[in-house]
Amino acid sequence: MAVAKLEQLSQSVVQGPSLATGAIPTKDWMDIPVVFKPGNYAFPAKKDKVEYLNSQSGLHFPNARDWSPEDDDWQLPENWKEIIINGLRERLEKFRSLKIFMDCCVRCGACADKCHFFLGTGDPKNMPVLRAELLRSVYRNDFTLAGKVLGRLAGAREVTPEVIKEWFMYSYQCTECRRCSAFCPYGIDTAEVTIVIRELLHLLGIGINWILEPVSNSNRTGNHMGLQPHTFKDNVEFLADDIENLTGVRINPTFNRKGAEVLFITPSADVFAEPGLYTAMGYLILFEHIGLDYTWSTYASEGGNFGLFTNNESMKKLNAKMYAEAKRLGVKWILGGECGHMWRVVHQYMDTMNGPADFLEVPKSPITGTVFHNAASTKMTHISEFTADLFKHNKIKVDKSRNDYLNVTFHDSCNPARAMGLLEEPRYVLKHVVNNYHEMPENTIREQTFCCGSGTGLNTDEIMELRMRSGLPRANAVKYVEEKHGVNMLSCVCAIDRATLTSLMSYWNPNVGVCGISELVGNAIVLDGENRAELDEGLRTLL
Amino acid sequence: MKELSVNDKIVTVDDEGFLVNRDDWDEDVARAIAKHLDIPDLDEEQVEIISFMRSYYNKFHAFPILRNVCKQVKQTGACVNNEFVDPMKAWKIAGLPKLDGIHFVTVDGVNYLLEECC
Repeated sequence: MAVAKLEQLSQSVVQGPSLATGAIPTKDWMDIPVVFKPGNYAFPAKKDKVEYLNSQSGLHFPNARDWSPEDDDWQLPENWKEIIINGLRERLEKFRSLKIFMDCCVRCGACADKCHFFLGTGDPKNMPVLRAELLRSVYRNDFTLAGKVLGRLAGAREVTPEVIKEWFMYSYQCTECRRCSAFCPYGIDTAEVTIVIRELLHLLGIGINWILEPVSNSNRTGNHMGLQPHTFKDNVEFLADDIENLTGVRINPTFNRKGAEVLFITPSADVFAEPGLYTAMGYLILFEHIGLDYTWSTYASEGGNFGLFTNNESMKKLNAKMYAEAKRLGVKWILGGECGHMWRVVHQYMDTMNGPADFLEVPKSPITGTVFHNAASTKMTHISEFTADLFKHNKIKVDKSRNDYLNVTFHDSCNPARAMGLLEEPRYVLKHVVNNYHEMPENTIREQTFCCGSGTGLNTDEIMELRMRSGLPRANAVKYVEEKHGVNMLSCVCAIDRATLTSLMSYWNPNVGVCGISELVGNAIVLDGENRAELDEGLRTLL
Repeated sequence: MKELSVNDKIVTVDDEGFLVNRDDWDEDVARAIAKHLDIPDLDEEQVEIISFMRSYYNKFHAFPILRNVCKQVKQTGACVNNEFVDPMKAWKIAGLPKLDGIHFVTVDGVNYLLEECC
């Protein structure tokens, strides 16, 4: 999909007629139908993928068919309305939060201009309040007295095929980043509303291919990239070869090793493509340096979980391998790599979803003796917490000047920042490994961080223009520090970020690279017995 | 679908240029697919890359790490991009199937990045 020229797109964002530029809608939002055209929707999941998933134990993906959002008739199952209303009823009963979020919005508008999709598209239905209203209006109609009696006067409407289309459009123009909820006086988590809308759509066989492909890969091989055990192992070993080439130190990682103290799990993309590869090299160097007794797993070979972007059952099933493998190998605790949504799942759901993990111990760093009480229930610690603690206790020998070719800023990845409060640790680590560091403006970082614009499985190329629009607020903040301080590297702790920010930067800020923090750690570490060549571009140097 | 005529046989590629029947592949078919993808002919470096991709796929059933490809065929680190611009073209010319979750994106038509799903 060709993307508009930068000048065109940026002008269209700031000058085009939209709610964000002051244009006033001429119709009530309920009267504006959605129009699908190439470029404004992600491709629907292929029939055979949906069928495959539906045939797998523990998963429920009914009503597989060939369809296109551009079709007038979406071939909904005959009893589609019943499915939706029953599905909503079930979820209102199951998730008390959903009922609260449906009831308590006062339409104050605090969230309206906090959404990167709204800022990039100006589409009123991308205001979080209105996105939630797409579902809330149906909730009112079928589940509240006021809605039943007063109908549209009370903001209620019946669910129709047009509503289903609208749900599809706007639940896939939300990355569940939760920036809006950080500003909501009631703390309404609009991400959970999007999650529920997507779940309901899956009941009708409506989903997108870029999400269901990794889900089926992960169900089949354990990881999103579909890497089989020997391939996964070969990839990690290739990285070890590269490290030997660069530093002269041979690292021999182990796989599926019973009795290791720690099981390490990271997104499979880290052992698959740039720039994640360099992050993974960073892990390998760090673990070698401190002599960690750990193992990789070719079964629990994925930290990420695209199940989160489909429905509860698939999230639960895909995540179960973490504890299952930890138990099988008899490790004491789990260390997790740099990933965004993985940490939402691990930190907020894993314990009750797949636990209790009473066969594991509360994570304790074998190097410093620090006990990570914050992970007392999940038994899983984030690599940034683990590394920050190592620096705190002076256990890592670094030469910061090795990163002097970079001028770094830090992108708080949405989920680690807002879903687990990981704000200080990555910065603490960065402070110990780079000399040149500058923060982006304060309303674009920490809890208020702007999304990469392509999370929750929206990083597919048929919607590239949408992605460049929704990533603009983030890119704009990067541009600010690039121009003011000469920043040339955007660091982050998320695999989706590493992939999508790279595209985003190549569009908006082509002189800025993207890296994981562990890459910078690995590059700064002085290994025992190293024979390091002059590495102008750190671990990326081609020798 | 598009039919390509190669010597005395006809092979089919899909709309994106992936060879439909992997057994149809030989080096002449590769050249025909290349032509279909606007690469007039294949030079020695390009042939080395696609041969490696084929043997890699047979062993690992996955897309290779691109740096690894270059290392194995003893070319420079960005060899696949340099030789084919879009590395997926090399994969198609090698007659290998489309893989889930793998795509290359470009915003300028010149630099192609492997943007894995996650």
